[in-house]
Amino acid sequence: MDSGLHLVAGLDWGALPQNLILAIGLGAVYALIALGYTMVYGVLKLINFAHSEVFMLGAYTALFTSYWLGFSPEALQQASRESNWLNLLMMLLASMVFCAVVGVIIEFFAYRPMRDQPRIASLITAIGVSLLIQYGGALVLPVSPPPSINEAVNPYRGSIPVQLIAQNPALAAEAAKAKEAFDVADAAFQEQMKAERSEFDLSPRGLELRTAKQVAERNYRTVRKKAEDSGRELSIPKGQMIMFGTTVMLMAVLTWLVLKTRTGRAMRAASHDFDTASLMGISVNRIVTITFIIGSALAGAGAMMQATFIGTPLTTFYAVSLGVKAFVAAVLGGIGNIPGAVLGGMLMALAETLVVWMGKSEWKDAIAFVILIVVLLFRPGGLLGSAKVEKV
Amino acid sequence: MERKRMTIWTSLAVMALGLSVLAGCKGSEGGGDTTGGATTGSTPGGDGKPTDTGGTTARKAPTGKGNTQSGDTIKIGLVASVNGELKPWGDDCVKGAQLAVDEVNAKGGIQGKKVELLIQDSASKAEQGKSAAEKLVSDGVLGIIGEVASGITLQMANTAFAAGLPIVAVGATRTDITDIGSNVFRVCYTDDFQGPVMAKFAYDELGIKNVAIMTDKAQPYSVGLSDAFRKKFEELGGKIVAEEFYQSPQDKQFGAQLAKIKEAGPEGLFLSGYFTEVGAIARQAKEQGLDVKIFGGDGWDSTELNTAGGEAIVGGFFCNHYNNEETRPEVQDFLQKWAAKFNGEKPATTMGALGYDATMLMLDALGRAKSLDSAALTAAIEETAGFKGVSGEINLTGNNGNPPKRALVVEVTATGQVFRKAYEPSDVK
Repeated sequence: MDSGLHLVAGLDWGALPQNLILAIGLGAVYALIALGYTMVYGVLKLINFAHSEVFMLGAYTALFTSYWLGFSPEALQQASRESNWLNLLMMLLASMVFCAVVGVIIEFFAYRPMRDQPRIASLITAIGVSLLIQYGGALVLPVSPPPSINEAVNPYRGSIPVQLIAQNPALAAEAAKAKEAFDVADAAFQEQMKAERSEFDLSPRGLELRTAKQVAERNYRTVRKKAEDSGRELSIPKGQMIMFGTTVMLMAVLTWLVLKTRTGRAMRAASHDFDTASLMGISVNRIVTITFIIGSALAGAGAMMQATFIGTPLTTFYAVSLGVKAFVAAVLGGIGNIPGAVLGGMLMALAETLVVWMGKSEWKDAIAFVILIVVLLFRPGGLLGSAKVEKV
Repeated sequence: MERKRMTIWTSLAVMALGLSVLAGCKGSEGGGDTTGGATTGSTPGGDGKPTDTGGTTARKAPTGKGNTQSGDTIKIGLVASVNGELKPWGDDCVKGAQLAVDEVNAKGGIQGKKVELLIQDSASKAEQGKSAAEKLVSDGVLGIIGEVASGITLQMANTAFAAGLPIVAVGATRTDITDIGSNVFRVCYTDDFQGPVMAKFAYDELGIKNVAIMTDKAQPYSVGLSDAFRKKFEELGGKIVAEEFYQSPQDKQFGAQLAKIKEAGPEGLFLSGYFTEVGAIARQAKEQGLDVKIFGGDGWDSTELNTAGGEAIVGGFFCNHYNNEETRPEVQDFLQKWAAKFNGEKPATTMGALGYDATMLMLDALGRAKSLDSAALTAAIEETAGFKGVSGEINLTGNNGNPPKRALVVEVTATGQVFRKAYEPSDVK
C-alpha cells in the first residue's frame, strides 16, 4: 500500500479499524447475554443454563411480532412494504417483556423449590430446564424449514462509509474511466441480449460481447481496488451500530438501577450475603424475581437485535453455542461482576475478530477458550472478579 | 473459594459436553448431504477423500442373504425424514415414492403382484435411520430406498450391506457412500461432480478469474465441496485469492471473515455451506459493501434461502439436481401426475423428483428381476441402463452405484429459482 499503511509482520494494519468496528457489534450481543448469567450468579450463585434458551425464545418472539406487524412471508409475497423504527421498537419491547415473563416463570417453578438444596441440584435442574425448552420448543415452534426474520422489517440496512484517508486522485480518476469503459461494454452486451435466448446460451457475437464485458469489468474492479487501497474507508454497518447503541443504553440503565436505586442496593446486599440481607428486611424472593426480570429482558433485547440485524434462520438450538460463549465471557470478566460481563464479552469478540484478521479463521473458536484458560490460571476469579476466599 | 472455582469448572465442563453432543447430532441434520462425522470411520474406504466415481474397481458383495418375497404383495421399504430438521425433504421424498408405487400398481403391479411401500421415519437422525432400516429388513422388504442426508444413508447402507438388501439412496451426494458394497446405489450426482461444475460455470460463464471461498468447517459436505471446487477452478486457470472458515451451528456474524475477503479483492465468492448460513453471509457481505457474484452447491436448495438472504442472495447461482421449469417430457409428465395427486401443487424441493426416480428405478428393476428376492433385485438394479428418470437418464451398469448425472445451475431470483445452464458429466472431465 502506498499511503504509509504498510504490511507489518504480514498483517494488514489498515484493515484494523474496520475489524474493531465489527468486533463491537459482535461483542454487544455477547455482553447482553453475559449480563444475564452474571446477574443471576451474583445473587443466587447459580449458573442459569436455561438463559440461552430464554434468548432463543426472545428471537422467536421477535419473529412472531414481525409476522404480526405484517412482515410474514405470505404477506410480503402479496405486497412489499416499508418498515420504520417503530416496528423495531415494538419487536424489541415484545421480546424483552416475553423473555422477562419466561425468566420469572423458570425461576418460580424450577429454581425456587431447589433454593435450599445443595447447589449441584440447582445446576442439574438448570440443565433440565434448558433441554426441556430446546426439545419441547421444537415440538411447537416452526423449525423445518427454520424461519428467519425478513430483512424488510429492518429499515436500517447497508452501511455508512467513513473516509479515513482520501483516495489518490489520479487512481480515482483512472477508476472512473475504467467504470465508463465497463458501462459501454455492458450496454453493448445488454443490447445484444435482446436478440439472445439466454445469457448462458449465446451466439458467437453475444459470446464475444460478453467476454468484452467481463474483461472490462475485471479491469474496472482491479483499478477500483487499487484506488480504494490508496485511501482508507471504513464501512460501518448500520444494524451493528444500532445494536451497539442499544446495548450501551441498556447498560447505562442497568448501572443506574444497581448503583443508585433502593432495589439496586437490596440486590447488592442479597448478592453479598443472602441470609443477612433477609434479616435486614429485604424480601429476597422479590430481589431474585427482579434479577431474573432484568437478566432475561436483556437477553430478549440481544435476541431481537441479533435475529433482526444478522439474519440467521431460527431453530430451538439457536442460542446453545452463543450461550456457551457468553457464559465464558461472563467467567472471563469475573462472574457475578456486571462491568466484568461487558468487558468479557467485548474481549471475546475482539479476540475472535482479530484472529480472523490475522488470517487464522480456523482458530476463531479455540482462541476464546485459550484466553479463558490463561486468565483463570492467573486470576481464578476472572479479570474483574474478586479472588477472595468465599466462606461456604 | 474452592467451591466457587469448582462450580465454574464443572459448569464449563457440562456446557462443553452439551456442545459436543449438539455438534455430534448436527452432523446428520444440516441438510441434504450432511455426513455424520462419527459414522465415517465404520465405512470401508470411507476415508473422507474424494474417490473416482464410475471406476472399474470391484465393490465388495454384501454379506447377508437378503429377503425373499412371500405373501400376496411385494414389499419395498422407504426411509425418510418425516420429522426433524430435514422434514421438507422427507415429505417430498415420501410423496414422490408413493406416487411411483401408485402408478405401478394402477398398471397392474409387478409380475402380477401389487407393490406395498413400507415407510419408516429416520427423524433426520443417523441412529434412527439405522434402526428404521433394521425394522424394514425384519419386515421382509426386498430393497430399501433412502435417504436424502449422507450421514443417515451411511448407517442405512451398512445395515443393508449386512442384511444383503439393495439400497437406492435418494439425495446423498457424499462421494464414498457407494464404496460400502455392491448393494449400494444412488440416483443423484456426487460432490466430486458439482464442485467442478460450479468452478467451470464461474470461470467460463460468469468470467470470474479470482474467487474467495467460505467453508463451513463443521460440515464435511462443505469441506469436500470446497476442495473439489478449488481443484477444478485452479486447473482452469483461476485463482483462489482467499479462503475463510466458519462453524455452522454457532457462528452468526461473519463480518471479520468478509472484511478479510474484501481486502483480497475477489470477483466471486463461493459459499459451499448450507442455506442456514449462506443467506446470512450474503446479507452481511452486501452490508459491508462486498459486491461480488456469489454461488454455491446444492446445500442452498431451500424455500427459506430467499427470506434468509433477502435482496443480497438474489442473483446468486447454485448447482441443483433438477428443476420444475425443465421442458423434457419426463419432467412435464411428472409434474402433471404430482399435481393430480397432491391438489395441484408442485414439489417444493428437488427431493420429490429424486424420491420418485429412486422408487421407479427399484420398481423397474423388480420387473426385470429373474426371481423375487433381494439378490436378484440387486443384480437387476446393477443392470439398469438408459433409465429415463425425471432428474435425467440414469445408468448404473459398471458405475459402482454412482450414475453419471447431469447438474443444473440455477439462479436465485426474488421469487425462487430459475434454470440457467445444464452440465453433463463429460463437460467437466
